[in-house]
Amino acid sequence: MKYLASAATLALFASPALADMDAARALVAQYSALPAFEAPGDPFDARACMADKSMFVVPLTNANPFNAAISAGMSQAAEIVGFNLRNWDTQMDPTQWIQGINTAMAEGYDLIDLQGGIPAEMLAPQIGEAQAAGIKVTATHLWDATTQETAAFMDGAANTDYVTFGHIIAAWAMVQTEGKVNALVLGPDEIPPTAPLRDAIIGYLAENCPDCKTTYINVPVNDWATLGQSAVQNALLADPSINYVLPVYDSMAQFIAPAIQISGSSAKMVSYNGTPFVLDMMRDGDIIEMVVGESLGWVGMAGVDANMRVLCGLPPVTVLNTPAYIFTDENVATAGMPANYNDGYGDTFISGFTALWGIE
Amino acid sequence: MTQSTADYDRRIADLEARLRAFEGRLPPPAQRPRTAEMAERFGLLVAWVLLILVLGWFKPDQMFAWNSYAVMFGSTAMIVVLTLGLLIPLTTGDFDLSVASTMALASMLIAVLNVRMGWSIEGAIVMALLAGMAVGAVNAVFVLWFGIHSLIVTLGTGYFINGIVLWISGSNVISGVSMDLVNVVILTRFLGIPLAFWFATALTVVIWYAFQHTALGRRLLFVGRGREVARLSGVNVARVRAGSLIASGAIAALAGVLYTGMRGAADPSSALSFLLPAFAAAFLGSTTLYPGRFNAPGAFVAVFFLSTGIMGLNFLGVPSFVQNLFYGGGLVVAVSISQLIRKRRPMD
Repeated sequence: MKYLASAATLALFASPALADMDAARALVAQYSALPAFEAPGDPFDARACMADKSMFVVPLTNANPFNAAISAGMSQAAEIVGFNLRNWDTQMDPTQWIQGINTAMAEGYDLIDLQGGIPAEMLAPQIGEAQAAGIKVTATHLWDATTQETAAFMDGAANTDYVTFGHIIAAWAMVQTEGKVNALVLGPDEIPPTAPLRDAIIGYLAENCPDCKTTYINVPVNDWATLGQSAVQNALLADPSINYVLPVYDSMAQFIAPAIQISGSSAKMVSYNGTPFVLDMMRDGDIIEMVVGESLGWVGMAGVDANMRVLCGLPPVTVLNTPAYIFTDENVATAGMPANYNDGYGDTFISGFTALWGIE
Repeated sequence: MTQSTADYDRRIADLEARLRAFEGRLPPPAQRPRTAEMAERFGLLVAWVLLILVLGWFKPDQMFAWNSYAVMFGSTAMIVVLTLGLLIPLTTGDFDLSVASTMALASMLIAVLNVRMGWSIEGAIVMALLAGMAVGAVNAVFVLWFGIHSLIVTLGTGYFINGIVLWISGSNVISGVSMDLVNVVILTRFLGIPLAFWFATALTVVIWYAFQHTALGRRLLFVGRGREVARLSGVNVARVRAGSLIASGAIAALAGVLYTGMRGAADPSSALSFLLPAFAAAFLGSTTLYPGRFNAPGAFVAVFFLSTGIMGLNFLGVPSFVQNLFYGGGLVVAVSISQLIRKRRPMD
């Protein structure tokens, strides 16, 4: 008994210096399972409520498949419920976003959704004008659900749990290295979701892994091609013991993979998004070890669900119920050949939302 | 010496005399001290060595390691090639702002043809190079037949090509390009440096030889210095300018081939960000080795001078904005030095 007590005391003293491997393993295991649908709110009769209502979606840019896939999910939801939803065409151009808002006002839509990353603060005057005309204005997949505040002038926002995505990335690296991560973390600081993702990765390792080390490099999106690759290869040359490169967005893989290859490093890449070409690179190569993604069709339907609740005067839904899902070599084939934004996550969300909206 | 060569030399001498008369509200250049001339010619090379020594003072393990340079030489080879493409029309007095778009087009064509449509990688590369030449030919038609300034034409065609690239790619990144290309471009090494660097080096030598030792190179230079004088001396100015734009398109497409081979993938937009580095290197290169002229070895040295600076800044861990200052500042300083060499005459 005395020895047990001593051992317990030792363990107590020792525990702060030990990586919390069990928690990391549990997190990885939780998000390796196929996503299950959890209702974001109470059921309601969507068809009755939306019979005379319409929605106007302004995506960040149609040139980005990420936004196009969310828009497709939104259109699918509108088709199921049976109301008018229009997706506006934009090319990352603020004047086109403003034209979209003006068009929605002129054509009498009931709600405008700023989809997939439009900085709402930039459009505050136009948003106020639309609201004065009786139109609700919301955002889908813009702010972080826990570390960022939805702008007070918005009528609602369905936010993303970026922190959990960051934790999964950090936990994965911890598990693979048995608590000996030396990670190079990269992100474009000018993009709003970067901060919660970056802080979640670095913070998780700092709190749970005493022998882990991180170095962060800010690479603005416009400099990914010119400076991103050189930043990674020079960091790997400067510290050959780096064993993980963790960009906050997996689209950086096209610059990181050659940097790892050309510098002769054995580091692996782990990231967030589930972008199809990155999943293809994972399937065809050895550098990308894990990507944690989310079904964008699901994001689109969840965004419409939140918007309908705003229009129907129901309690608001502020967090998208789209779960994270881990892709590795073992299950990447389920994402399609070539991979796409929706395959691999299962389709429980379609039946889940349909039932939630009282449509069978 | 054959009759035609003697005739050519006589015409060149005559042309040079007329050119001096044409430009020459200025007196004949005064004989400069040899040391000043040497300092001007080799200043950038000396600056490069100093840069390495200064950065090496702070980070000797990385800055004095051969592997650091092997990696840097290999990964920036496509910028050398893009710069070489750019400096041909610059020599004839035309700006080609569409080179980066052409590079993106070539890169994406290879990916679409090879990955999506199942073409052999060789066939896809040939198509990409032909597409680059076609872009150059279109530029030439608008610049020469319509008489529009090259700056406006190539700005417009560049945007147009960007649209085509987005269209054929569906705005997607396409990965899975044949490993044969990746092997040839970066995985196969000679003296520890990926082959991409040796391709860029070979092209530099070819263009240097063409500029310095062939009649074609002299014609390019004369057309750039004074189109009217060149025309009156019997040079087919339109053909020379068209040829330079077509060559620029083809070489930009070659840069696209290397860029695709570097990553095994193609994306619709990232190549566009190489336009400023290529211009910076072309202008910086024009201040060295053959000062006052756009020249291939100067551009070659300039690319690696700028890349060495970026590499050192990376090793020092400076924020990324400092690297932008280095690139942007490099361009302005280079043009300023170039203007001083030109006695501050207004640029064409």
